[in-house]
Amino acid sequence: MTLVQPNPAIIEEEPPVSLWRDAWHRLRRNKLAIFGLGVVVLLAFVAISGPYLTPYDFLSQDLAARNQAPSLAHLFGTDDLGRDVFSRVVYGTRTAFLVAVVVTAIALVIGTTLGAIAGFFGEPYDRIIMWLTDMAMSVPNLLLVVVINASLKNPIARWMEAQYMATLNPFYRETIWIDFFLVFGSMALISWPPYARLVRAQVLSIRTRPYITAAMALGLSNRIIMMRYVVPNALGPLIVSVSAGLGTAMVLESAFSFLGVGVNPPTPSWGNMISDGLRVWQHYPHLLAAPAFVLGLASVAFSFLGDGLNDALNPRGTK
Amino acid sequence: MTARNAQERLLDVKGLTVEIDGRRGPAVIVDGIDLHVGKGETLGVVGESGCGKSLTMLSLMRLLPNKIKVTKGTAEFDGRDLHKMSTRELRKVRGGDIGFVFQDPMTSLNPVMRIGDQLCEPLIYHRKMAKADARKRAVELLRLVGIPGPEERLEAYPHELSGGMRQRVMIAIGLACDPKLLIADEPTTALDVTIQAQIVDLVKDLRNKLGMSVVWITHDLALIAGLADRVVVLYAGTVVEDAPVDDLYANPSHPYTRGLLASIPTLSDAPTARLSSIGGTPPEPGRRPAGCPFAPRCPLAMDICRREVPKLEPISSGGSHRAACFAVNKALKAA
Amino acid sequence: MLRYVATRFAIWIPSVLLVMLAVYALAFYGAGDPIKLIFLRAPGDVAYNPQRIEAIRESAGLNRPFIEQFAWYVWNLVQGKFGNSLSSGRSVWALVSAAAPVSFQLALCSVILTAVVAIPLGMLAALNQNTRIDYTILGSALFLWAIPAYVAGPLLMVALIVLLPGVKVPYGWGGIFDVRILLPLVVLSFQPIALIVRQTRAAVIEVLSEDFVRTARAKGVPEIMVALRHILRPVLTPVITQLGLIMITIVNGAIFVELVFGLPGLGRLTVQALINSDYPVILAITLIGSFLVMISNLLVDILYPLLDPRANDAKRSR
Repeated sequence: MTLVQPNPAIIEEEPPVSLWRDAWHRLRRNKLAIFGLGVVVLLAFVAISGPYLTPYDFLSQDLAARNQAPSLAHLFGTDDLGRDVFSRVVYGTRTAFLVAVVVTAIALVIGTTLGAIAGFFGEPYDRIIMWLTDMAMSVPNLLLVVVINASLKNPIARWMEAQYMATLNPFYRETIWIDFFLVFGSMALISWPPYARLVRAQVLSIRTRPYITAAMALGLSNRIIMMRYVVPNALGPLIVSVSAGLGTAMVLESAFSFLGVGVNPPTPSWGNMISDGLRVWQHYPHLLAAPAFVLGLASVAFSFLGDGLNDALNPRGTK
Repeated sequence: MTARNAQERLLDVKGLTVEIDGRRGPAVIVDGIDLHVGKGETLGVVGESGCGKSLTMLSLMRLLPNKIKVTKGTAEFDGRDLHKMSTRELRKVRGGDIGFVFQDPMTSLNPVMRIGDQLCEPLIYHRKMAKADARKRAVELLRLVGIPGPEERLEAYPHELSGGMRQRVMIAIGLACDPKLLIADEPTTALDVTIQAQIVDLVKDLRNKLGMSVVWITHDLALIAGLADRVVVLYAGTVVEDAPVDDLYANPSHPYTRGLLASIPTLSDAPTARLSSIGGTPPEPGRRPAGCPFAPRCPLAMDICRREVPKLEPISSGGSHRAACFAVNKALKAA
Repeated sequence: MLRYVATRFAIWIPSVLLVMLAVYALAFYGAGDPIKLIFLRAPGDVAYNPQRIEAIRESAGLNRPFIEQFAWYVWNLVQGKFGNSLSSGRSVWALVSAAAPVSFQLALCSVILTAVVAIPLGMLAALNQNTRIDYTILGSALFLWAIPAYVAGPLLMVALIVLLPGVKVPYGWGGIFDVRILLPLVVLSFQPIALIVRQTRAAVIEVLSEDFVRTARAKGVPEIMVALRHILRPVLTPVITQLGLIMITIVNGAIFVELVFGLPGLGRLTVQALINSDYPVILAITLIGSFLVMISNLLVDILYPLLDPRANDAKRSR
């Protein structure tokens, strides 16, 4: 049998569709995910450019205009001190994004590092790290974090005060840093285990997959194997859980504020606005509704986006 | 082996077209296939992976995956169109009149259900048997397919059996309700060579005993030589040749069939002889060439092959041997 | 089996000790002097009597080094002595055993409600994948997942009052057969339900693409029986493994729900203890919480081989 030259007109390839382009294609068809993406982008824009958008300062009080219902002058009304709720919600967006991004970043770094060590180096690191992870995931985490926050707040404040007295450095007077430091630290403490588990599982499963063996058999360098095979395959699930994690961090921060251990007033956060609103919701429902709605919207948006990304990046599950 | 009652058709498929709803729009996978199975006849369906042979059979039972749909054609079974049946009627056919044996017995059996329960299901739903009766029949069936210690096996889970034993269980499930037709979709691909032969012998034996029709799908022409009465060769979703089995081996007509037969190594080959192969690859669905789908790989390709699609035409006097090839027909007319 | 349970306990004990140590250290170094905490609140001039305070400190062993005190605390725990609450002076055991039944009943009801509601909904969504039904169920689940209990609770209360003007505000506790449990139960179950709906949906979609489902259909098994006999069983396995996670969600959620709806359970006790820096109570609750989660995980491990015969085999051969 003679070999036949293939007809060039038929073999001519369309440009190959990359993993990411393909994922974007799938994501675009998912209406909920696109809605989520839109809201997230909008909120991120508000968070970054917030101060230029608000008609009032979030602290400026107008005692003549207290507890006003929403109007054109005050889109979300005013609170019990006559502060513009819209401006406070906008600044709250800033706080929420700051907390969410920083906490997720810290958790991601800790989780990825530990997970990768456990996956790559195996025993005994694997056992120790997994024990830590299991432990962190098997205690009621909210309780633990609230305890940490509640107990460390005063000692750190005292220490800062002492430092100020000793050095007169005005930095130590900025008590707002205590809040952020504690909130970031304690939230990251309970947020890293899922990332560690995920990364370890990914490393373990990718390492033994036939295509890695095949790539090694082809004599590809470790760097190329990492960049072209391991990273793209591990990145998908990680992106999905980061998207979900950002939303969770926002809700968690508001939960802290609700219990009185989060970011302290007067720094506006959705959580402490909600807990303030809860006390008077029978009379001034807008004080609860505005921050609760925005928090819900943000959280739902991240949740939709994460779910859409999950479907888009794991095409196997969507057939 | 000769065709018995080949005139009386049990299954008659006409112009069956199956399309997949792909990312770049719909693409044809099965392109207007005609095939038929006589009562008591064994039909071998041969083709490379991806030629649409499994999808053709799945489409008969309306078991196609979500994005794949039948767009044209009819499939009459015992005088009724399978594609137009109500789901209720269809359910009676599935597992009742038509038994199905799938390719991979590992994944095709439910891993968390005992063999006995899986085997009793068709009996309970089609024969309305009581559980105890169904179990008695299940033991008979397991004995029929040659499983030792059938009573204990009923309590086993699939992972506790070997691959060959699992495939025997699959066959027992397919045979449970004395079907008129058994469709076996590459039932030996996942098995060792020695076990393959056992399974082929088993099906041959059962067919002779029970007198049913069999459709055996495979990519292995050699495997069905001793099993089938008639063979249909598929290429890229079209029938390229349809012939009684002896005729096909003695006198392969379509260049693709010849290529397939030439690529089977034989003991008489010189030890240094190179194994013959067909150059190129089959077209992807949705990128089928105009004209004959095999033309780009065909050694006999002519101009007309790239313009027009050849029809399946008789090339023997009896009309039982048919091929879809311009070159073959031209040679016949010239002769 | 018994040996297995014992092993699990043995693994659990060091982790819970570590957590307790952390909380104890926070209390020791963070919250300050427990005696002062008590007496600052005490009436009269006791608070200003340093000698008296020192004497009490001496007798309670609170002047000893940290690690010694922690060991002493653990030793008392082993003997079943949880100590006394700093704020009320009542025994922690009495406080906890009064509050725990409320929370446990609520949690149990919530687990049952979750299983009954979420698994069918998840299956329904998956069986109608990418249809309106699927989008509605999945969208609602994502929505419920994102709404914190302290937002959903008050809003539902408002809605109830507006819709049924005659109804008394559902506040307080009257046992699980009292109508008042409905609202907190629903709110508490929102997140677990959302979690299980998504889990079930994903698991069903995965199972639907399995060959054995095709086999069942090829056998002529009716669709409803395919769903119940062939799809549900393998789906339950991954869903059941989420029980530990559900327990954490419920324990976390209970803190808010009990606060919002005025239920006298462990959640409310926690918040009160936090406000009062009542560490003996917090330590006891931490212990109970992680015990609950541990038991759930243990239950999963025991149930798993019953649901998946392959797991059973793997364990035996190990």
